[in-house]
Amino acid sequence: MKDLKHLIYFESLLQEAQNELVNKAVEDGQIALGYNCYYIPEVLMNLDGCFSSRLRAPNCTSSDVADYYMTTRNCPYVRAILERGIEGGYNYLSALFGAENCAAMERMEEHFFLINPVKNEKFFVTQIDPPMKGDKTNLDYYKVQLKLKVVDELEKRFGIDVSDAAMRKAVEEHNDLCRTVTEIGNFRKLDNPPITGYEFHVIQLVSQVCPHKLILPYLKETLEELKTRKPDKEFPYRARVILVGSEIDDPEFTKLVEMSGAYVCADRYCFGSFPSREEITIEEGETAFDAICRHYLYWNQCARFMDGFKIDQRHDIVAQLAKDYKADGVIYESMKFCEFWSYEKILANHVLTTEKHIPCCTIEKEYALGAVGQLRTRFQAFIESLEIKTIQGGN
Amino acid sequence: MFDKVVALIDKKLERFDPIWQAENGVGGQRSRYYDKTGVAKYREWRGVKDTLVDYCAWLKNLAAMAKMVASAPIPCLKGFWEYRWMGSYLGTFMFIDRLFEGYRNKELKIAHMHMHAIVLSLTGRIAYILSHDRRLGASEEKSAHLVPIDEVLPPLFMTGFPDLYPVPLQTLPEFIICDVDQHIEPYYIDVAESFGIAADVCSRCAAETGVALDDAFPLIGKALVTTNMPCNASEATSMFQRRRIGMPDYQATLAMIHNEPEALPFSRKIMEETIAFIEEQYNTKFNWDAFFEGAKRMNEQNTIELEKWDFFKTTHSPLVGIAETLYKLYEWQSVNGTDPYFNKVDRKVIKIMRQAYKEKYEPYGGRTRHRAFLWGPSAVYYTDFPTWIQNCWGINIVLNMDSTMGYNMIDTSDKDKAMDDLTRQAEKACMRHMAVGGWNNVNSVWEWAKNFNCDMVLFNDNVACKGMNGVHALMEEQARDLGFHFIFIEHDLEDSRTISRQDMRKCVNNYMSVVLGEEPLDPTIVEFDDSAAY
Repeated sequence: MKDLKHLIYFESLLQEAQNELVNKAVEDGQIALGYNCYYIPEVLMNLDGCFSSRLRAPNCTSSDVADYYMTTRNCPYVRAILERGIEGGYNYLSALFGAENCAAMERMEEHFFLINPVKNEKFFVTQIDPPMKGDKTNLDYYKVQLKLKVVDELEKRFGIDVSDAAMRKAVEEHNDLCRTVTEIGNFRKLDNPPITGYEFHVIQLVSQVCPHKLILPYLKETLEELKTRKPDKEFPYRARVILVGSEIDDPEFTKLVEMSGAYVCADRYCFGSFPSREEITIEEGETAFDAICRHYLYWNQCARFMDGFKIDQRHDIVAQLAKDYKADGVIYESMKFCEFWSYEKILANHVLTTEKHIPCCTIEKEYALGAVGQLRTRFQAFIESLEIKTIQGGN
Repeated sequence: MFDKVVALIDKKLERFDPIWQAENGVGGQRSRYYDKTGVAKYREWRGVKDTLVDYCAWLKNLAAMAKMVASAPIPCLKGFWEYRWMGSYLGTFMFIDRLFEGYRNKELKIAHMHMHAIVLSLTGRIAYILSHDRRLGASEEKSAHLVPIDEVLPPLFMTGFPDLYPVPLQTLPEFIICDVDQHIEPYYIDVAESFGIAADVCSRCAAETGVALDDAFPLIGKALVTTNMPCNASEATSMFQRRRIGMPDYQATLAMIHNEPEALPFSRKIMEETIAFIEEQYNTKFNWDAFFEGAKRMNEQNTIELEKWDFFKTTHSPLVGIAETLYKLYEWQSVNGTDPYFNKVDRKVIKIMRQAYKEKYEPYGGRTRHRAFLWGPSAVYYTDFPTWIQNCWGINIVLNMDSTMGYNMIDTSDKDKAMDDLTRQAEKACMRHMAVGGWNNVNSVWEWAKNFNCDMVLFNDNVACKGMNGVHALMEEQARDLGFHFIFIEHDLEDSRTISRQDMRKCVNNYMSVVLGEEPLDPTIVEFDDSAAY
């Protein structure tokens, strides 16, 4: 396929958290708000006057100082983020909105106010207590937490307009971005898609780490380009897989899977588009804020949800994606030292293979892509097994 | 006359006393053990009176065990046949003997009063649960009034259901046996890891998962209450347990950041929904009068506890070390106002403590050199850590983190206030008060240590605990700034294969000998191999 016009530019934007578009927005007086997790609604951080920046630590090869603070026996993603913070990589941030969603993440965020690594006088940290079930009681608590620790803080500290009208406008703009990314992602449903999983991963990532207003024109242009982009004559992959897991923010990982022979047709992981690019609907008589909270609680696929509905929803959504995106199998990833995903990937593997009859492969990885040889061998073996199943008619 | 005779005998036989042996360089606590094991060649000689107290306590515990088997002989036999963990309870006597090595006089008496209460409660529970276990042949109807609840959810609210029998589900097959027998958990951990659970998750939760996958939880009741307490891995294993057990369940997910005012209404709603769930599943109504009775017992327990704390702050408390921490853990977390026998014990113990204070009694024969606040979970018990550290280095464990669980009083007349109070207390359950819910909870350890006049903080460092690993350096820096002696004691909670008991002791040995330059009180227990012991 012909290269996408903006792909190299997008890749360059992913080389550091404080990228060209982030700098431009900050220079224009926009307030940069950091977050790590889907529990913090991206749309709230894109009210007029501010923009969201989902934290990554690209090219982090060692986390020596963070290891001192958090030991080497902790999640490599959070250690990398802390290391990058200590290195000064997030000095553009005016706030970090955190969540006690897992112990490692919570501790890492605490370091952002205990050792003050971000050199920005406006900078502060709040942490919500995120719900663990999808019912009304938990939704009400979620609203209380988001109001107190995100919305009120935005208004109080930065004078951001947090009225219903402002939130409706933010939802509209957010939906525009979501529609664009979803439309791009929908090409992956085709038998011979005009976009690779790697390219989509890059596009999805830039939509999360760049100011929405600045990245959206590029995404729209890319969407138009894809409408006429001609794919290779023949589908060049041996199988189609969905990637499911935690904080996969390195497109090279998707590239590794695809170079092993499987097309990554859907991305159900923390930095992926499922969830994150579903449009928010505001029901009649509902405030925009209530709609946002309801939306984010419903679509949240975090492995920490404990109630039967959310546990089943996690597995059902993956099964539905497999159907919609014609996946032959699912790769479940967990970050090393991640308690939640260590359990979830095993449970999901069991449910998907024995109950939903979808082949699964489970892997554990570091944040920085290392041990590529081992992973490649695992993927190749899995892809081979999928191929054999296809040859044998799915048996 | 009697006392004179006893004193004479004690003098004549003092060479058999391990404390005297250690002081005179002719032996010590480890001398009477077979190498590598926890098997002693003979019982510890503590003088006439204390040996008799100790032996009588041993007999009382033996009688409780016999009563357990006699009350349900067939279920107990079936239990031994069905459940691997049942075998570990055979090590109970060795466990108790080891816990109270070096204890004399008042601290020995209190220790055995406490331990006997635990033994009575546990043996009663084991017999009752096994005889109502559907896996062992009990009918649905017979087991229908038992309510399995996650052991970290305090069961006080269940006193409002006087016709139901709450069972902290993981306590018998997993928690207690880990304390008694270091060799049983690796089996269940291996079961979980064979299924694919990573080896770096918390070993307690891996073991619980293994018990579930091995179908080794008793099958009781009609519905299950799980919880998000205390931490990530326990939340994750709850998801496995509910699925494997396969009963209707309610997840009591109390607020994690529980010190903020917004948390209470939410957690209260969760408690109310938990009660409503039990009402619905067990077709019964919550009885407030019965609950208030339970709350009164809990209030008395906490009132006495607060008075005990005043004595702990002095050097004259005969309630020390493991006798304090293990009892408190069991009494608060597992009994939690449901058993009046524990109130009776508390009343007796506080009387002894008052008397001891008047007499300016010094525990451990005045051999204490340091007072320590311990931040430690299970690994404290199977290593008989507080006992060892006093006998070896003269470090008195004044209080353990788990002893600081919810101590607010519960209103016993106003339902609305009572529900708020109950919630506040439940939010501060085992491992919650000081381990999760934000930095301030962890950091409060220094305030506790200061208030209890400790010069030392011992921090159990579970290598698989992501939350506590996450504050590693900050804690060390705090200790340095605040001037506490501070020791991280590495352990892998319930997996003694990763870090052995001796490895844990070595952390202390190194600090005491290299940093403080002190000599051990008993050189026979500085370094020894007990890898084959229960």
